[in-house]
Amino acid sequence: MGELWRRMWYLLNRQRMQEELRDEMEFHREMAESAGAERRLFGNADVLREQAREAWGWTWIDRLFQDIRFGMRTLTRSPGFTIAAVLVLAVGIGVNVAAFGVFDMFVLKPLPVRDPDTLVRLERKGPGGSFASNVAYPSVEFYRDHAKTLSAVLVSTDREVVLENESKQVRARFVTGNFFHELGAETAWGRLLNEDRDERKDAAPVVVLSHTFWEERYNSDPAVVGRVVHLNHKAATVVGVAPRNFSGLGIPHEPAFWVPLTQQPYFVEGSTALTDTSLGAYMDMWARLEKGVTPKMAEQELTALTNDLRRQSPESVWKDERIISKPGGYLQTVHKDDVPMISLVATLVLLILTVACSNLGGLLLARGVTRGHEISIRFALGASRGRIVRQLFTESLLLALMAAAAGLGLGYVFLKAFLANMNVAPWLDPVPDWRVAAFAGAVGLIAAIVFGLAPALQLTARRRSGARARQVLVTAQIAASCVLLIVAGLLVRALQFAVSNDPGYDYEHILVVDPDLAAHGYSASAAKSYLDTVQARLRQLPGVISVGLTSMAPLGHKNVTGLTGYRFGIFVSRVEPGFFETMGIARLSGRDVQRGDTDGDVVVSESLAKQMWPAEAPLGKQFLLEPTDPTSKKFTVVGVVANARTMSMHDPDATELYQMSDDASLPHMVALVRTQGRPQDIAAGARTIATGVDAGLFPNVRLLSDAFHEEVGSVEKGALIASLMGASAVLLAAVGLVGLVAYAVSQKTREIAIRLALGAKKEHVLAAMLRQFVGPVALGLIAGAGLAAAASQMLRRILYGVSGLDPLSYAGAIGLLATTAALAALWPARRALRIDPMEVLRHE
Amino acid sequence: MPMKSTPKSLMPSGALVMLILRVLQSGPLHGYAIAQKIHLLSREVLGVEEGSLYPALQKILLKGWANAEWGISETNRKVRFYRLTAAGRKQLEAELQDYDRVTEAIKTVLQTA
Repeated sequence: MGELWRRMWYLLNRQRMQEELRDEMEFHREMAESAGAERRLFGNADVLREQAREAWGWTWIDRLFQDIRFGMRTLTRSPGFTIAAVLVLAVGIGVNVAAFGVFDMFVLKPLPVRDPDTLVRLERKGPGGSFASNVAYPSVEFYRDHAKTLSAVLVSTDREVVLENESKQVRARFVTGNFFHELGAETAWGRLLNEDRDERKDAAPVVVLSHTFWEERYNSDPAVVGRVVHLNHKAATVVGVAPRNFSGLGIPHEPAFWVPLTQQPYFVEGSTALTDTSLGAYMDMWARLEKGVTPKMAEQELTALTNDLRRQSPESVWKDERIISKPGGYLQTVHKDDVPMISLVATLVLLILTVACSNLGGLLLARGVTRGHEISIRFALGASRGRIVRQLFTESLLLALMAAAAGLGLGYVFLKAFLANMNVAPWLDPVPDWRVAAFAGAVGLIAAIVFGLAPALQLTARRRSGARARQVLVTAQIAASCVLLIVAGLLVRALQFAVSNDPGYDYEHILVVDPDLAAHGYSASAAKSYLDTVQARLRQLPGVISVGLTSMAPLGHKNVTGLTGYRFGIFVSRVEPGFFETMGIARLSGRDVQRGDTDGDVVVSESLAKQMWPAEAPLGKQFLLEPTDPTSKKFTVVGVVANARTMSMHDPDATELYQMSDDASLPHMVALVRTQGRPQDIAAGARTIATGVDAGLFPNVRLLSDAFHEEVGSVEKGALIASLMGASAVLLAAVGLVGLVAYAVSQKTREIAIRLALGAKKEHVLAAMLRQFVGPVALGLIAGAGLAAAASQMLRRILYGVSGLDPLSYAGAIGLLATTAALAALWPARRALRIDPMEVLRHE
Repeated sequence: MPMKSTPKSLMPSGALVMLILRVLQSGPLHGYAIAQKIHLLSREVLGVEEGSLYPALQKILLKGWANAEWGISETNRKVRFYRLTAAGRKQLEAELQDYDRVTEAIKTVLQTA
């Protein structure tokens, strides 16, 4: 130990120790000389000192610092090169940092809550793929009362409510009283919700404001605490304001209010949320694990409890249902379905880095020509190849380090811009944490190895074959840019399809009136009479063409229930006669749904019919609810309608199935009103009608065109990002090619001069020079197109509407790159032809 | 007259360390004095060059067998004196024992073979 300590002490006092050693040896020499020795007997003082210092084991540090100092000097001597290199690489690293930053923020970084690792989110899984991410409240209570592996159970559910007399609804999150306490939240003002006070039977109605809403609506006025507000016309006291950085449990959209879940029936008149055991009554459930309990143990206990629960209330539990736990203290957990998307983004950003690296490799190689002289001198002075490679690599490392720092900053800027476009909660923090910083460093290191080591080896090789390295670099750059451009093209095309392609219905003239009867505890018969009255009155409004009812509001982003087990998903809506007419969806054959239909009578979209029976007429055809179970319910096709993408604009297949509404679906029905003129003109009238029948309702009235434009907007942002990535790839590739060709020309100046002096035609010389790049460029284009085609299987799972082999994207990318390459090569080559041969030859 | 030095190869660095420790046993010395003393005591057979003396001294410092302290040389110059530590004494003893054992063994082989 003492030895290690002395080593460290030496390291810290190295400067002084070295000076002392020098003095000491100098004294030694003087004494020896005065004793008659001759100076020539002594060796090189520097070498001797270095040998003496080696005992301490720190000489590598000195050499490293020497290399760094020398590298710094070299880099500052050519600032233009250094800045260009750092910028090019910083873009490549920055894109990667931003992408990783998103992943870090959503997946790796725990939420800012107390002890996030013992939080689990509980979800239901049945056999045959049935799955629900939420649990009915009576089941939650059962688990809470019986589970021994859980120390606390937390529940949260969202609802839109009307605040005072504002026209726009606000989001309220109903949570269990232990929510804030379990998550370790401190209050900003007043108090937060409290299990003992707010969950009592006689508790006064209270709300807690979110910090953002407090700032925006109440101008951060602390006097709001104690004030009475009205949600859905029900009075409640504001007891406090949640802290700014309170994340809740991983939903990035902040609610305006936090409200005790047990008080939901008070705020939502007729609500059966606390007693309803049906699938529609959803709640998100989290739990805190008891000390020493693993998520697996909790899963086992809860699954066992589920069997008991099924005996008590069979209707709320599937057969052989299991409870699964996911890490709950994170915004997102990665699901198997997310992997293709994540790999696609990772591949794209890595390709940009590849382009940047090969670009830089070219720059270094080109610079190597001017350094060839220096390198041969150092060889002549006896430096080993390893020593020179190390020196050159140190320079690359320095460049990479600067680029990593710049890339970290650039990544932060990209990420901030990305978040600003997403309208996320304020606690989501884009400032890079240690993980992102480490990632930037690692990417920089890898980049340095990729772009630095090969040219260093190349430049110090005994036999230099610059042409080969150059060709490899050109091929790599062209191939990577080609993949990027093709993928960008495919993305743009797919998004274009989503935007430009008619969704299949008349979204511009439709008003959506969602009374949300289910939440107010409406029975089927009450819902039916309500809907009949409202429909009739809506038809009376001036300018109304027709009114229809559906259980699935178009583009409503509701939890879509689909039939599984087929090769493709089937989206099911319950509708009433008049729905197709209102939506403007054409009937192609057969009939509409009608009263008296059985559950087996269905209307299908054209696309669904084509998928099921590609060559046959669909009318009268039968198919099973579950294709693998021959005893399952049979559907009979009674009608075929045109394709309409009602669920999502990204779903071009439009495999939709419509059934006549039944008792269970009636309280979930939404009214659609088609108007002659602008639908917003009747919005107020429609609201009055919807609340006129039952003043306790707070219907959500919205324009379908708003939802449509929102969807299109997100699509356009995606296309913009993809195009920017493609454009930066082309730009980087062009810059790199110019550099490489200029390098090739500079190496051949003498040859060109001789040829010109001997009377060669300029065009021939030019062609000869460019010919060496034709092969690598062509090879790169072929490799890039091949790689993109190989990846198209993966792309097909993400992109809809275009095949993975869209010819326009391929031809466009190849054409653009070939043109860019030609122009990039011509520019420096032409400049070379302007040289005066005699001048060059005299110089040599 | 040039010093007649022992070729480096004949003076293994382990032996040099032992000799340095031994000459330090009688009191602190500076580097040049150490070299001189070894030279003189060996009846001018063993010459110690800077190139091997100072690495050996650094190793001795690193191992903690001697301390360096500043003093004034006979020519009135500030110079570093090396003083044996307790650990150094122990090391010297151990090395001397080893040396004795090995020389005994070599002698035995030479006499009996």
